[in-house]
Amino acid sequence: MFKVYASVKKELLLLINDKVGLALMFLMPLLLVFIITIIQDSVYKVVNENKIPLLVMNSDKGELGKKLTDVLTSSGLFEIDGVAGADAGILKEELLARGKMIALHIPPTFSAGLESNAGDVSRILMKDLGLEYDSTSVETVNIPAITFYSDPVLQENYTYSVMGVIQSYLSVIENSLMIDNMYAEMDLGDKSGILKERMIDNRVKINKVVATNNKSMAVPNSTQHNVPAWTIFAMFFMVVSLGSNIVKERVNGSFLRLKTMPSSFMLVMFGKMSVYLAVAVLQVILTFSMGIWILPLLGLPRLTLPGNLPAFVSVIFMSSMAAVSYALMIGSIARTQEQANGFGAVSIIIFGAIGGILVPTFVMPSYMQLVSNFSPLHWCLEGFYILFLKGGSWTELWGVFVFLGIFILICQLCTYFKLRIEKIL
Amino acid sequence: MIQPPAIEIQQVSHKYKSASENTLTDISLDIFESDVFGLLGPNGAGKTTLISILCGIIPHSFGGVNFYDRGKEVSDTERRSLIGFVPQEYAFYHELTARQNLDYFGAMYNLKKTDLVERREELLEVLGLTKAADKAVGTFSGGMKRRVNLAIGIIHKPGILFLDEPTVGVDVQSKNAIIRYLQQLNQAGTTIVYTSHHMSEAEEFCNRIALIDHGKVIAHGGLTELKTENKVGDLQSLFIKLTGEAYRD
Repeated sequence: MFKVYASVKKELLLLINDKVGLALMFLMPLLLVFIITIIQDSVYKVVNENKIPLLVMNSDKGELGKKLTDVLTSSGLFEIDGVAGADAGILKEELLARGKMIALHIPPTFSAGLESNAGDVSRILMKDLGLEYDSTSVETVNIPAITFYSDPVLQENYTYSVMGVIQSYLSVIENSLMIDNMYAEMDLGDKSGILKERMIDNRVKINKVVATNNKSMAVPNSTQHNVPAWTIFAMFFMVVSLGSNIVKERVNGSFLRLKTMPSSFMLVMFGKMSVYLAVAVLQVILTFSMGIWILPLLGLPRLTLPGNLPAFVSVIFMSSMAAVSYALMIGSIARTQEQANGFGAVSIIIFGAIGGILVPTFVMPSYMQLVSNFSPLHWCLEGFYILFLKGGSWTELWGVFVFLGIFILICQLCTYFKLRIEKIL
Repeated sequence: MIQPPAIEIQQVSHKYKSASENTLTDISLDIFESDVFGLLGPNGAGKTTLISILCGIIPHSFGGVNFYDRGKEVSDTERRSLIGFVPQEYAFYHELTARQNLDYFGAMYNLKKTDLVERREELLEVLGLTKAADKAVGTFSGGMKRRVNLAIGIIHKPGILFLDEPTVGVDVQSKNAIIRYLQQLNQAGTTIVYTSHHMSEAEEFCNRIALIDHGKVIAHGGLTELKTENKVGDLQSLFIKLTGEAYRD
């Protein structure tokens, strides 16, 4: 027992003396969680909570341009800022100058074009129904195009979302205009109101449901995504501390010296694994505590822990073991500390990128989604996401445990065989 | 009185996988209890390989090695407690203090905590390290590091001590302190197997030697007898006479 105590104490002392490693393992995740959560939360708020700032230059000579502006204002989605003038070029300059991100130019023929189109549609309908209609020749105005300007930094999916919203309000105006025209052609006057109301109110509604199991009360937000993601990233960054620690012991002969002593080398490895497992658990406690207690103080969403505590603990354990095993493998393969640090850090960044830590895997091309399956960080993250965002159960976690189990086994075997080749074991 | 053997080396040969020739060929030696046995030879002769085999770091390809403790053959597990090893490299933790290093390696040698503390303080005192004992070893001078390296190898009072160039790169004061302490250990009954390139030091320190060259023992026996047989006045002359003056790169 004294040997176990001595081994663990030695590893702890080495860890405490590794200031850079400590900073990477404890300060880095806190900073990353803090910064990335704030950044992503503001994006979430732009999309979900705040009104979308929109510059509008209404050059329409009729009433419908104003109507579109009013409809967009009354939707509550947009904060509209009008720009006077008729030169659309000014609008671009204003957009960039005012930092509004989005602008809309309604052309002079907007009303005329829509009215002309609605007239054409109602006449076609009347003709097809065999009803009388005003067949006197009218001047046709082409269907107008409104111009949508966006700041180049705006994400494409966000731009398309806003354009979709505007398009849907345009449809309401167009449909309303067509109904008015048809009722006028049929001499029904202002009776179209009831129909228009019904068409608008009785549209198919979309119920938004976040796909979680019914037990979960967690709502996906920047905190729920970022806290587990960057905690895993930091866990794997222990490769810099543990990896170089092993290289040093291999290179300076400490391992060989230990081989001459009446102690099992497994004891040395046990000391390392137990201390770094504790480090990983401490990382989880620190960053998760930040998500629960610190981030809400800054106006960010609070981290909600999953209800299935044993599964949660198991995912933490498997993720920690994967990180420790990877660091052991890199430490046993690298020839120098520089190799261990350089390759270890770069490989974790690559694993993080393909594993969905930096960018979610669902936005990646399909072949990259396939590649992400080879990243241990992806499976660790998947484990946390199943619990945090989907309220998942043991059965949904089996894939995570199988992959991480295989990964841990491969790393441990590589470590074992490399140390055997070097006659250390 | 015939001394009992501490180590019997019988026709040991070794070939590294990457090498085309044997590093050691047919080495047979007896090292007796309380010997200070010098394994001497030019660079690349095979001294470190032989010490590594004796310490159990690498397995020998052919032959046999037996260890004895007061005439009784010991098992592999017992051998690990019987021997002490001081490698040429500073094989310890530079970030830790001298005390912390000794505590760790002492525990790995199965010392009980109370015995370990007592022995640790004794060694720190004897080797002149007490004042710096709580400083990180990485900040020590070369001589101090050599003494820490030695202290780790002898913390469990080994019956047989292997030293691979224990005084390389240190000043005269540290060298004298190390040799003086090793002589005290030997007088207390510790068998010492030692390699060095310092012929005058070896001549002063060893009672028996084996000269190894190209992986083979070219001469072994009592130092005085070997000098007489080869009609030379000192060990350096004996060394040059038997191994030649050509560079060994």
